[in-house]
Amino acid sequence: MGQIILFRKGNSGEIAGMRLKLLLASDRAHISSGILEQIRDDMIGILSRYAEIDVGQVTMRVKRPEDPGGSGMTPLLCVSLPLRQKYASQT
Amino acid sequence: MSEVMVITSGKGGVGKTTTTANIGTGLALLGYSVVLIDTDIGLRNLDVVMGLENRIIYNLVDVVEGNCRMKQALIRDKRYPNLYLLPSAQTRDKTSVNPGQMRKLVDDLREDFDYILLDCPAGIEQGFRNAIAGADRALVVTTPEVSAIRDADRIIGLLEAEGMKPIDLIVNRIRMDMVRRGDMMSVGDVADILAVDMIGAVPDDENVVVCANQGEPLTGIDCLAGQAYLNICRRLTGESVPFLELEPRKGILVRISGLLKRA
Repeated sequence: MGQIILFRKGNSGEIAGMRLKLLLASDRAHISSGILEQIRDDMIGILSRYAEIDVGQVTMRVKRPEDPGGSGMTPLLCVSLPLRQKYASQT
Repeated sequence: MSEVMVITSGKGGVGKTTTTANIGTGLALLGYSVVLIDTDIGLRNLDVVMGLENRIIYNLVDVVEGNCRMKQALIRDKRYPNLYLLPSAQTRDKTSVNPGQMRKLVDDLREDFDYILLDCPAGIEQGFRNAIAGADRALVVTTPEVSAIRDADRIIGLLEAEGMKPIDLIVNRIRMDMVRRGDMMSVGDVADILAVDMIGAVPDDENVVVCANQGEPLTGIDCLAGQAYLNICRRLTGESVPFLELEPRKGILVRISGLLKRA
């Protein structure tokens, strides 16, 4: 449900950035931030069954329709799941 | 033919009116003919920031309703001969004018000015709709704070839905000392989160208050904010200008410790 955020002194700027990314994604997609976090966690869980995901580097953004790379019509939910260097290969 | 730009933000108090006044003044200093239009009906402020509050006879609503000719309402700024102000009405409200009327009003001015700047009120309702109606491009002003950025994002979404292009960002009231400490988002962070091109960053500067107190725009003055605004004007006219360093001047303590080290 919640995230454990480590508070460092003088870190409020970084926290603001993190909060805003989730907040704007929620505003743009008209999906609550709680559900967005669940979507992200579920996607990490599913893909982790097939490949090693670098969880710390997972990003989620919602593009406005007219943004570069946007759909042009509706908000676009984009999730980036970087793979770890060593990945399981089927032989 | 003019370039018509609306200065908007969503959130109130982030510096739209200050930005409009200073960009307008800067463009006039660069030799262009400029008209500033205050579209905040009922809460006019552009006149006060420009120091022209005592010269208002007719206003925007008078022009729209046909009570006067445009020439009678336009106030010529005696300090900058190419700069004019069309003030708003203080005793009416935003329903006194509709977007169609604003579009016509702006079109009537296009032949006479190089630049038309529309100072947009806060919010997303009629006032916003009126202000963007005649505009060719938008400048979105935000500060590096969570609430301002959230509102700016909403405004950008609305502008994009209207087909407004280009949309450029101005990040206002930066405090580099706080950014370095990690207690304020950087200009780059803000531009990245909002996913729009940035046209300028203006540092927090006491002179903004001092100048507003006196009804003098900032742009000619030798200070960081004044320089930043002038750079924005240059970029608007097509010049490529590098962004300012925005380093705050060193405080007295640092200077003293510097002296001690040399001893």
